[in-house]
Amino acid sequence: MIKQKSMCYSSLAKELRLKVFDSVIKANKGHLGGTFSSIEILIALFFSGVMSYDGTNYTAPNRDRFLIGKGHACLALYHIWNKLGILPDKELETYGQDGGLGGQLHIGISGAEHNSGSLGHVLGIAAGLALAARLDGTNSRYFVLLGDGECEEGSIWESAAFIARERLSSVVTVVDRNRLSVTAQINDDFSGTLENKFTSFGLISLTVDGHNTLEIINALTFARSSHVPVAIIADTVKGKGISFMENGIKWHHSIPSKEEAMLAREELTR
Amino acid sequence: MKPMSSTTDIRDGYFDRVFDLAQKNSDLVFLSADADAHSLVKFRKTFPDRYINVGVAEQNMITVAAGLALAGKRVFVYSLLPFLTMRCYEQIHFNIVGMNLPVSFVGVGAGYSFDFDGPSHHGLIDIGLFRLLPGFTILNPSTARLASQCASFSFENGGPTITRLDKGYLENLNPDSDFDSGFSLVRSGKDVIICTTGRMLHNADKVADALELRGLSVGVIDLFRLKPINNELLADAIANSKALVTLDENSAEGGLCSLIAGVISERNLSIPRKNFSCADGIRHRPGSRRFLLETEGLGIDELVVSISQFFHSAISERQMSRV
Repeated sequence: MIKQKSMCYSSLAKELRLKVFDSVIKANKGHLGGTFSSIEILIALFFSGVMSYDGTNYTAPNRDRFLIGKGHACLALYHIWNKLGILPDKELETYGQDGGLGGQLHIGISGAEHNSGSLGHVLGIAAGLALAARLDGTNSRYFVLLGDGECEEGSIWESAAFIARERLSSVVTVVDRNRLSVTAQINDDFSGTLENKFTSFGLISLTVDGHNTLEIINALTFARSSHVPVAIIADTVKGKGISFMENGIKWHHSIPSKEEAMLAREELTR
Repeated sequence: MKPMSSTTDIRDGYFDRVFDLAQKNSDLVFLSADADAHSLVKFRKTFPDRYINVGVAEQNMITVAAGLALAGKRVFVYSLLPFLTMRCYEQIHFNIVGMNLPVSFVGVGAGYSFDFDGPSHHGLIDIGLFRLLPGFTILNPSTARLASQCASFSFENGGPTITRLDKGYLENLNPDSDFDSGFSLVRSGKDVIICTTGRMLHNADKVADALELRGLSVGVIDLFRLKPINNELLADAIANSKALVTLDENSAEGGLCSLIAGVISERNLSIPRKNFSCADGIRHRPGSRRFLLETEGLGIDELVVSISQFFHSAISERQMSRV
């Protein structure tokens, strides 16, 4: 059963990577590296049932919500929302065109809960949503995906401290730790690991293989029922899925050449 | 609700109204970044779940406010003006403005209210910063009564609002002001019209009294809504006088000086104009508010002399140009 589920998620991941890739090539725009590192995390969130959110209830007031700090991975979300029946095909096809879907989210896009483009905001927004839910006595959960570069923003830590202090355990934080920002490697040499940081701020820290969907689902399942806020640190590879892109710093926002694209597509369809 | 008098601190005017609103509206939530006020004590005691001190963390306060507003709550955010407006400007621009969230901002410390605490505590450039933010309403009440109306307006407004509060007991100079117009003609005058805002209304009134003893007819406009501006109405009020003075306890750049210059330009109004506002720059010059204003040429006695000189030279220039 687990092997079956694993194979399903695996083929879903392949499908999603290929769709994202084709969109980037068609539009000549996109952030492949950071989108590919988040694929399994997004599949775990949107297709396992851990989030009470789908094509039928995505505007319901007490829905679970997904917020993304690293909004440059939005192409994956466009395809996921399309697959869930939330974002129409016609709109998806406008990606990269004048007046069409852009490289960041805005709240007018079906499925989007907020605007994206600036880092360090969504953890606080999730905290506000969680506070409102507590005042209203509802059980919604707020799943937040951050980048590890994003965790260099001080505002993240203001929000983390607040979430711990207010015991907003309905906020589930996931960090895509691909260890690369736009220009540099991100390591733990001086200020400790993300796990240490979140734990010292009062959250429970879990570490998972960010490309093992079942492992991520287990962590999310624990987190959504925890009475203490949880941060899940997912170890990932930037550019995962295309061998010559993996861990390559230039693939944050570079677009493959014609030859590179051929090689890449061949790998994705293997 | 108790009637407003000059024995009501301007801050109480605002926060008492917020308390009344909270009693009738269970969706009202108040966030503070480690700032307090006398009249907030009863709010905290009566609605402990809806008063949240986020601590010295303004950026988080704004994003939490955004989340609350996205969930349908009516949110007030409060701190000292410079920290409320500058520390978290990007959070405000990106979330509150970007998603047009109806969050009510209230900041104390307009102008040199917190005189002795130095430039970090002076609210001198936030007007300029917030005029740049699309969809924001900027309110700068001069009395407790107006402050109370600002609180009501903010609560009902469909977009974000900021109210700048001074402190202390300020005379109820404009009891009949029409809130919707955004300004009131507190006194009319044929020679000079002084356009001012906030606490400076009270100084302008004293200056006008002194100028009238010198034989000038002086009017005063209290511009309590700095954005949006009804250019036509305001220009009409200004045009009845021969000369215009702007008096502002804020930076000229972005404050009343540039705002009124824009109105005059847009309405093609030809009127001699002189500006009195705070000079550009950050000045570490501890002292009382009176001292700080006097060093900027904004003391009452100096204003009387300067405005009188300005008027007479402006009128004689006009007369000469007609010869």
